Amino acid sequence: MMGLRVGIDIGGTFTDLVFLDDRGHVTTSKVLSTPDDYSRGIMDGISSGAGLHATAVRQLMHGTTVATNAILEGKGAQVGLITTAGFCDVLEIRRLRMPALYDIRWQKPPPLVPRRLRREIPERINSQGEIERPLDEAAAAQEIDMLLAAGVDAIAVCLINAYASGMHERRVRDLIRERNRAIPVSLSSELVPEIKEYERTSTTVVNAYVLPPVRRYLRRLTQELDASGIATPLGIMQSSGGVMLADLAAERPFNIIESGPAAGVVGAAELARILAHPNVLSFDMGGTTAKAALVQNGQFVRVGSLDVGGGINIAGRLLKGGGYHVSAPAIDIAEVGAGGGSIVRVDAGGGLRIGPDSAGSAPGPACYGRGGAEATVTDANVVLGFINPEGLAGGSLPLHPMLARRALENGVGRSLALPVEEVAWGVHRLANATMARALRAVSTERGLDPRGFALMAFGGNGPVHAATLAGALDIGRVLIPPVPGVFSSLGMLFPEVEHHYVRTYKRPLDGDDLAWMQAAFAQLASEGAEALRSEGFAPADQAFDRFADLRYSAANSELTVPIARDQSAGELRLSFEDAHEQQYGYRSSEEVVEVVNLRLIARGLSSSGVPAALRLSAPTAPPGRQREIYLGPERGWITAPILGRFDVPAEWRPGPLLVEEYDSTTVVPPGAQVRRLAWDTLEIELG
Amino acid sequence: MTSSAAARSDAGTRDPFALELIKNALATLADEMALTISRTARSFVVKEALDFSTALFLADGELIAQGTCLPFHLGAMPFAVASVRRTYRERIRPGDLFITNDPYDGSTHLPDIVLVRPIFRSGTLLGFSAALAHMTDIGGRVPGGNASDSTELYQEGLRIPPARLWREGEPDETMLRLLERNVRVPDKVLGDVRSLVSACLLGERGFLKLFDQYGDDFLTHCADLLDYTERFTRAEIAKLPDGQWQFIDHIDNDGIDPQPIRFVVTITIAGDEMTIDFTGTSPQVRGAINCVYPFTRSAALACVRSVLDLSIPNNAGYFRPIRVIAPEATIVNPRAPAAVAARGLTGVRIGDTVFGALAQIVPELMPACGANAPEVGVSFGGIDREGRTHVYLEFLVGSWGGGPDRDGMDACTGTLVNYANTPAELIEADLPIAVERYAFVPDSGGAGRWRGGLSLERHLRFKLDRGVLQIRSDRREHLAYGLHGGRPGAPSDALVVRANGLEEHFPSKFLTAVGKDDVLRVRLSGGGGHGSPLQREPWRVLADLREEKITPAHAKAAYGVVLEEAGDVVDEPATRALRAKLEESPAAPARADKPSSGGCRA
Repeated sequence: MMGLRVGIDIGGTFTDLVFLDDRGHVTTSKVLSTPDDYSRGIMDGISSGAGLHATAVRQLMHGTTVATNAILEGKGAQVGLITTAGFCDVLEIRRLRMPALYDIRWQKPPPLVPRRLRREIPERINSQGEIERPLDEAAAAQEIDMLLAAGVDAIAVCLINAYASGMHERRVRDLIRERNRAIPVSLSSELVPEIKEYERTSTTVVNAYVLPPVRRYLRRLTQELDASGIATPLGIMQSSGGVMLADLAAERPFNIIESGPAAGVVGAAELARILAHPNVLSFDMGGTTAKAALVQNGQFVRVGSLDVGGGINIAGRLLKGGGYHVSAPAIDIAEVGAGGGSIVRVDAGGGLRIGPDSAGSAPGPACYGRGGAEATVTDANVVLGFINPEGLAGGSLPLHPMLARRALENGVGRSLALPVEEVAWGVHRLANATMARALRAVSTERGLDPRGFALMAFGGNGPVHAATLAGALDIGRVLIPPVPGVFSSLGMLFPEVEHHYVRTYKRPLDGDDLAWMQAAFAQLASEGAEALRSEGFAPADQAFDRFADLRYSAANSELTVPIARDQSAGELRLSFEDAHEQQYGYRSSEEVVEVVNLRLIARGLSSSGVPAALRLSAPTAPPGRQREIYLGPERGWITAPILGRFDVPAEWRPGPLLVEEYDSTTVVPPGAQVRRLAWDTLEIELG
Repeated sequence: MTSSAAARSDAGTRDPFALELIKNALATLADEMALTISRTARSFVVKEALDFSTALFLADGELIAQGTCLPFHLGAMPFAVASVRRTYRERIRPGDLFITNDPYDGSTHLPDIVLVRPIFRSGTLLGFSAALAHMTDIGGRVPGGNASDSTELYQEGLRIPPARLWREGEPDETMLRLLERNVRVPDKVLGDVRSLVSACLLGERGFLKLFDQYGDDFLTHCADLLDYTERFTRAEIAKLPDGQWQFIDHIDNDGIDPQPIRFVVTITIAGDEMTIDFTGTSPQVRGAINCVYPFTRSAALACVRSVLDLSIPNNAGYFRPIRVIAPEATIVNPRAPAAVAARGLTGVRIGDTVFGALAQIVPELMPACGANAPEVGVSFGGIDREGRTHVYLEFLVGSWGGGPDRDGMDACTGTLVNYANTPAELIEADLPIAVERYAFVPDSGGAGRWRGGLSLERHLRFKLDRGVLQIRSDRREHLAYGLHGGRPGAPSDALVVRANGLEEHFPSKFLTAVGKDDVLRVRLSGGGGHGSPLQREPWRVLADLREEKITPAHAKAAYGVVLEEAGDVVDEPATRALRAKLEESPAAPARADKPSSGGCRA
């Protein structure tokens, strides 16, 4: 019987599903999201896409925004927090940083636990993990009773120095269990045993806060899948790009905060490997934002934490602290507030500005004809001929090019005295300049030259901007993946099962004896093996990657370096110094190197292979169609033939041309050429 | 609008899209220079306090972009470029790289080293890239270079006039060795200087790339960018009412002489121009809190930035319509060789004073005075039994004053700096110090219709047999002011509980020996309140009570709110009666000065 893989990505407006069978047949399904109960939309999508073949589903991967939404909408659990005496305000004091310079109106987000539910208990463990003051159990019991009497839905426990020993935290959990067996308890020493009390407390609290709604949602979805005859376990995309099964995700939901955006990057990395184009910049442009991530040697780059609900930060990595901190491995994604719906305005000095305000889907850009009067990036693209004036989504959403022209002429155009197509071209380039900041944030800001990468563009608007954006960054090569509009859902189909573990072990890397480190890794590996075993992975299908966070003891930031099983301290030091030199441009051989954290990734190896080729449906266009496009005053209006994806040959075909498909349009400018690669990916070489 | 601005406005900008692209490219480039520093610098002040800056200039020394770094530095770096240009003139050569830290010639105190790189194409000077960072040490009498009790510049460390660090591409070994031999932690200082060099070179490469891309139009576009920024700034200033406003605030003392130090600012707005005049401010002092003019000016410019559109670019166009006057030989424009190392405190007070005047101009925007800038510095140093030296240095940041429509944020950095705190667990892992408390102090926020933010306090237990503790603080006598009837925030405090249990209180600036198990309890001041506390809705008072941010006694005394027996419901009749009574006999006026002349038209 045919096996079917299903990727499900829930967005604010649409739920996208991608179905992939063993022979590479791809079908997609787009249904309206059902925010009151997202599982309904998913079941609708599955029945419309998989139809009667529900029993054929053998892999089901899901990216969900339930955890993020609970935070953004303030609809998480009522959490009680237990801390060490003297530190109940750590959660509210945070790290003090502001994300916006000069902004006297900025407000930090309210703490997820009010002060009266942050209870202190007498106890103290020191930085070595030794007990300095025993846990006062009677006092702890009293505080627990207070929280339970106050009716909290979940309890978070974060004690000072618990990264070094979780003994007191575990005892506190026992005391809670003696009183209430059902209430979820999150311990900082189990979720994220890493030094720095604010970061650990915030992470533990976020976990407790989103746990009840995430668990509720996943239980309901699992039940409905069971009822429809789908037997395969549900996999949830983590922020890290790995997958974890629904049962575990319900216990550790802090790992699935950026579930959705991760999938597109996982897909980009997989496609990069398939195409033997190992270095790509993944670029996902939607209606309100654009996201960029780096894939190097077929691997995406991860960071150790996320700032949830902090808004979009155009300034990149300099300003931090706007949202709720979560210490969890996450794909490093930079985001800017520029998308198709971004509004173009003139400021008091006569300068132009794009976004971050968006016309959204209602009223939407002026060309939607739903009452939007302000010009957007999409309106500019319609005037330039990049987007089919007859309509989006295969014509099901009709467009009104006249309204787009009028919005540009009346708004921005009025103060410029330029022909409308020049205004539109300017807007298109400004959007590129804004989005280039996201791409630079993940490349140049890390000391990497974007010219060494191919731009892999997807999302509904990515292929429209890809060639001109690449040109602005001196990038010579563009890749447009199949089903660009729902590519994130396709990305859901490729992750591995993955669990991340971390422990802080602050000590100098001296001598050559790393027995202590091997013992510590053995401990982490046994935890990972246990988690994988419970998910059905035999020992032969388990793999463990080891890493250490190292730094020069006088420096303030660590570098994460991979460690081979039998590496000596000398070899480890050498690989750290190589990495340091690559990142910072120098090494400092006389200085002491210090270990800060040890990390382990436990991976479940999946035997199900990726099909060698994809088969897309209806990818050709009626012959003879063409459209006028405008690429700046130097080139003027140009006639571009319109092709379907399958009309693009395997050999180079010169631009100008447009590749139009159901959910996007790819612009190939004159001087550039395009061809079709494996997996029906389009490759554009710029002139 | 003045005639010159109107003329510029009519002329408009030649190519609005090119202008926008250049603006974006320059801002990104300055930020990339900043990221280079934050990635590669070694010192904690750079990484966690963002105490550094990057900038790009045209050949005539006009600032065209500044990185998103320390707001306090806005407009301080043009002085470094001006010093280099004045000193070397036509002797500036391709490949040169200049250095200065002289507060009287390009920098603002000795720990801030500035590098300036001239940018040439085909032998023509096109511009400069520059980078500045606060060094962990710069030699001198006291480690760290921030001591507030020096009385002349010569005690404060190595003074480098504008000099060549590189000569036509070759590093000047004399300068590097001089630097190496004069600082206590040469590896850190030279490491940080190296990261400034990388930033300057990155800025040069990016600048030249833009120049090559746009050709000779580049300089025209840059001029357009400055004009656009000026136009934007003038349009924003023109939205403010015309008039003259004054505000007065104080520093309790300089730690050497007991008398208070007065800060007077008069802001005049006429059409689309603004003058910020510090005439009337106290003469320069003996202690090291004198603040050189460039820092005074940049602090004032950074304050004004907060009341204008936030998207005005950071360049010289922003400075054009704003004039900052600081009479010579005052604490805000001292004569050499007055000591200046701890001018940060004065910068903070300049900010409080300017904000106080702005609060009269845009009352709908401005909060009461906060304790959210780094005016409390704690340093501890000592040697352990194995002979290792330990140094702890932290600038503590507290809370905001109440705003016109909101309470002051409890614990958050203000708009002039962007400091992070040091995690207690890092302190304990790295230093012989145990952190026993880091928390809010109930009842410490200035009472008001909108409450001021709470004081923060930190308790540190020292574990060395012997060490030296130094505190630089203020706001004991002259408190963080309230506005529109709001009360000032609670005073700051510092006491040491000796190992034998004896409590020892200290003045705001002190140095003392500490031994094992002595505990420092340092407390920041609270933020000022906004509006009459008797107007605060009782439900808000009750919410603060439930949050244990105020006590029932404070609710009654400061807000006139009485609770029912059970303690969780407001006793409305009793509250009305008490408030009526308090209304008739208001509490004694605050010690902090009130606005002395509210909005009198010029």
